[in-house]
Amino acid sequence: MDAAGWVLLRGLCRGLHLAGFFSAFGTMFLSATLLRGRGALGLRRMAWAGFAVACLGGAGWLLLQTADFAGAQSISGVISALPTVAGQTRFGMLLLARMAALLLAGLIFQLGWPRPATFIAFGAVIAEAWLGHGGAMGGFVGTVLLACAILHIAAAALWLGALPALYVALKRLPEDALYSLAQNFSPLGVACVGTLLVTAMFQFVLLITYPRALLTTAYGATALAKLVLFAALIAFAALNRFRFTPRLPASRPALRRSIGLETAFGLVVLLLAGLIMQLEPPAMASMAGM
Amino acid sequence: MSVRVLRLSLSVLLGTACGFPAFAHAFLKHANPAPGSRIARPPAAVLLTYTEGLEVPFCTVTVTDSSGATVQTSKPQTVPGHADELSVPVHITAPGKYTVTWHAVSVDTHRTQGHFSFMVSP
Repeated sequence: MDAAGWVLLRGLCRGLHLAGFFSAFGTMFLSATLLRGRGALGLRRMAWAGFAVACLGGAGWLLLQTADFAGAQSISGVISALPTVAGQTRFGMLLLARMAALLLAGLIFQLGWPRPATFIAFGAVIAEAWLGHGGAMGGFVGTVLLACAILHIAAAALWLGALPALYVALKRLPEDALYSLAQNFSPLGVACVGTLLVTAMFQFVLLITYPRALLTTAYGATALAKLVLFAALIAFAALNRFRFTPRLPASRPALRRSIGLETAFGLVVLLLAGLIMQLEPPAMASMAGM
Repeated sequence: MSVRVLRLSLSVLLGTACGFPAFAHAFLKHANPAPGSRIARPPAAVLLTYTEGLEVPFCTVTVTDSSGATVQTSKPQTVPGHADELSVPVHITAPGKYTVTWHAVSVDTHRTQGHFSFMVSP
């Protein structure tokens, strides 16, 4: 496989890791808030499924990133470099600490304490920001990028992470609880969409800088694809809010189908998010070789 | 009113941010000896400062003289309190041109590389 193929694979693993994290956190969040007191919805199993996906993606990312760091050409080369990555790099230490925190959150959630579990999982989710550009840079721009990344990740985790649990809950909730769940989820979704738009604008200015780069660079094209899918996600959310929610409970199957599709689109957005974080932003392409 | 304030704040923040370049990988910010410089006394170490924090165990630096012989005496070292700096001890005994070739891994997991030269001429 050539270098671009490895970058793509690392990006997909990172995106999968992100999706698992978001799903586990979003499930805990929904359980602690809008679904508080509602038992037997299968949310614990869903949180563990998210944890499993986060582990799978994280393991792939750790191995591929170790190979890249060490320039390893063989499995034995990767294995011999793993202790150094795990114990002496911010990437390795933060990745493993975040996984441990999510495991702890899962265990606490399993014991029936969704609120503390949600707080711990939230910390583990937003710690991802310190593995991005803002976390690596200092100064004013670094601080702005880091703040944007934290808000961007938090908003995406709250919105997209809650969708799988929402999908499951819509199937099992009694009819009288359906409308209030769908109705109360809407303001959260609107706040998350607003936050995502504003933070994406800052990231565009600082990392992409000129609109033509959306068509002429891999980073820009990936950002553009994310933007198009984001627009589709907003369309699904609007459809759910204005068409299906007022017609509940009759529209329950249609609403579930729509949320299922929204979840699938959200997964693709997160895979693209994992990929974009592996690419070189256009703002600094001219610096290469200095 | 609140919309106007929000719009104004965003414009100021974006305008301010636009004035700064975003070095979203580790690039060489400055070095001692500086690239292209001519110095009278050989340095005991080459100090490299980057635009981002580094994963030092996976950064490599070689310093070679004009014949291609390496003059660094150990791997790059961390500089306590400065996550964005590397120090490379060197043993330079003769005047001449020295080339520094570096490969950096930043804490956001990206790899960069570059090279520069300096002259030692008493």
